[in-house]
Amino acid sequence: MKNKWTLWALAAVLAMGFAAAEKVHIMWSGAITGPTSDAGKYYAQGIEDYCSWANDTGYVSGVEFVCETRDDQYNNANTLRNFEEAVDRGDPVFLGYSTGGTLQLKPLVQEVGLPFIPASYHIGNIDPPDNDYIFLPIASYSEQVIAVLEYIAKVSPGAKVAMAIHPSPFGRAPVEDAKKAAKDLGIEIVEVQEMAKGLDYTATLKRFENKGVEYIVYQNVAGPVANMIKDAKRLGLGIKHAGAHYAGGPDLLRLAGDAAEGFLWVTAYYMPHEDNAAARFVKELGAKYGRPADTIESVHYPSGMLAAAIAIEAIKEAKDAGKKISSESVYQALLKMNWPNKLAVGPVTYSKDDHVGVDQLRVLEAKNGTFVPVTEPFSSELFRKVHYGK
Amino acid sequence: MRNPWTRTGNYKTSYAQDTTIFATYSEQASLAVFLIGMLVLPQFLSRGDMQILDLILIYALAVLGLNIITGYAGLINIGHAAFLGVGAYTAALVAPYLPFWAVLPVSGLVAAAAGAVVGIPALRIKHLYLAIATLAFQLIFEWAVGHSPALEQGGAMAMPRVVFLGYKVGFKNHHYFWYYVTFVVLVVMAFGFRNLLRTRFGRSLVAVRDNDRAADAMGMDPGRTKVFAFALGAFYAGVAGALYAYWSRAVVIEDYSLMISIKFLAMAIVGGLGTLVGSFFGPAFLELLDINMETFSYWIKTIYNPPGVDVGSAIRPLAFGLAIVLFLIFEPRGLANWWRLLRSYFRNWPFKY
Repeated sequence: MKNKWTLWALAAVLAMGFAAAEKVHIMWSGAITGPTSDAGKYYAQGIEDYCSWANDTGYVSGVEFVCETRDDQYNNANTLRNFEEAVDRGDPVFLGYSTGGTLQLKPLVQEVGLPFIPASYHIGNIDPPDNDYIFLPIASYSEQVIAVLEYIAKVSPGAKVAMAIHPSPFGRAPVEDAKKAAKDLGIEIVEVQEMAKGLDYTATLKRFENKGVEYIVYQNVAGPVANMIKDAKRLGLGIKHAGAHYAGGPDLLRLAGDAAEGFLWVTAYYMPHEDNAAARFVKELGAKYGRPADTIESVHYPSGMLAAAIAIEAIKEAKDAGKKISSESVYQALLKMNWPNKLAVGPVTYSKDDHVGVDQLRVLEAKNGTFVPVTEPFSSELFRKVHYGK
Repeated sequence: MRNPWTRTGNYKTSYAQDTTIFATYSEQASLAVFLIGMLVLPQFLSRGDMQILDLILIYALAVLGLNIITGYAGLINIGHAAFLGVGAYTAALVAPYLPFWAVLPVSGLVAAAAGAVVGIPALRIKHLYLAIATLAFQLIFEWAVGHSPALEQGGAMAMPRVVFLGYKVGFKNHHYFWYYVTFVVLVVMAFGFRNLLRTRFGRSLVAVRDNDRAADAMGMDPGRTKVFAFALGAFYAGVAGALYAYWSRAVVIEDYSLMISIKFLAMAIVGGLGTLVGSFFGPAFLELLDINMETFSYWIKTIYNPPGVDVGSAIRPLAFGLAIVLFLIFEPRGLANWWRLLRSYFRNWPFKY
């Protein structure tokens, strides 16, 4: 009799052991405070909420995700420390943030073979060398800028364009590709101006006006862009404005107000006010996890969600394939990924030679205080030609 | 009766005795024990701990340099991270062609040359005006790197992996290897720093800091002394920059920004301006404070996280600022003064002096 109870107890313990979910750690290291934290804090919340949603819905059977959003304060030494901690712990994937931090980690990422999904869409992240394990969630800044130039060439053939860029590798990355693309598109880039945290851009704008600039294309963050477009409105200039992912969005509308009207913005994410499954999903998660309106409105919130979603989907695919969850199995799953996600305007597809997830983009225009799409999702026609020579 | 093991009175009767580094045998013995302890310390620390320790030692080397310029010579330097950057970029450029042990002094010498150039304005200006000149150097450095294709325009320049005596330094042993390298370099350069005040040049630094006209009247050359101070301080920073480049495996402009310069100044102030031990205490205190506040802020988030106000995240940068302000108000002589008080407490009662 005693032996029978012992066997039952043993069976119960074993059953509990099998039923316990496997804990899988996913770490993000980015700026919740410090420079660019206006984007980073929403990005982190997107990651946290998508992870919570995956756990609450049992999205990956038998797996409990432990998602940590670490504030590295935009300090590469902190990013390095967090990344190495993830490596030591045996995390299967790592979510990164800044351009500088990602570029600095490239040799180490290659050495340890840990898949890395950054928030920076800098093309240098996935260009050789040391580029095997880094995967961009959406098209690069270079492709975004070329896409918006293609749109400008279509609506204003032969337009004169100035570029206003952040004084960093983040800002400068698309310039050379943009110049080559402009030549093919028959438009002219008359000046490339670096802009940091200036409070008055009168001189720059008057120079642009004297050069006959019709469009300013921004590769920057929303703050400086808002200052420049407000100055352009104050000066009564007829110049139109356009920008890549981090230049625009609801943050720009909030900062620039009326001056943002007509701003052309290229991104791969849907807007929360749109009537589609993606927008509903983002709002649903925001409401479920008690996020305020400014979080749900921010484009960085779904951006963070997409990064987490790609990581979780790769883990799911690795698990569904019957493999042990590891950096190698997640890497292999990423290389085969073709996932029609519910967050961006196109599917997430990767291969050995393609480390860009969502290849499609849309151009949106600020109208009556909100961004509305003016194109269907499309892929840049020229990017591959000018960047890879294909 | 003089006891050679403890300080029981002031028995110094000559200038040579007054400038001795070790006053007692116990000081020599405690230093030997400390050095041996530091050599065996990696046996007890994880790879992650070693990473933090390496960073503290590298920053300590940089702060030693800053203490020569600002602490000894009294020249406010807001561009110290740029000297670090000059060393790091030099390392990135020459590392493919030179062994690492040669890269370190070469990086230091190039940074020293940059330091001498930056020091030239010190011939004519001082105080706030000189501080602005160093700030200008910081901005020029960032602009120059950002527009140099040879330096990847501030993007990453990867450092080659080091092979030493057939021993390949990889992920697992990276921080252990660079700990020993940094430690040896730091010990040698710290002895250099300690001996500096025993030299004519070192005494000139302090004299010029206290009153450059009086120093001039006494036959010293204040201008040359200031330029030398910048060059020597930048040499320390350049070597630290090369070590940082190897430690972080790549050189990126963001690691040498104005914010890092301010961080070095904060480290020097918190540690104690112009002190040897302060150069170690400052980086250790601020780096460990940051890491502990990070842990604390996550803990705060778990117990109090009101919507719309990220209290947990705010605590971390707040602690950094608060630490500096509190030190400036309550202990402007920094942690080095606490160390001095602690040591004097252990001197033999009632023979303290």
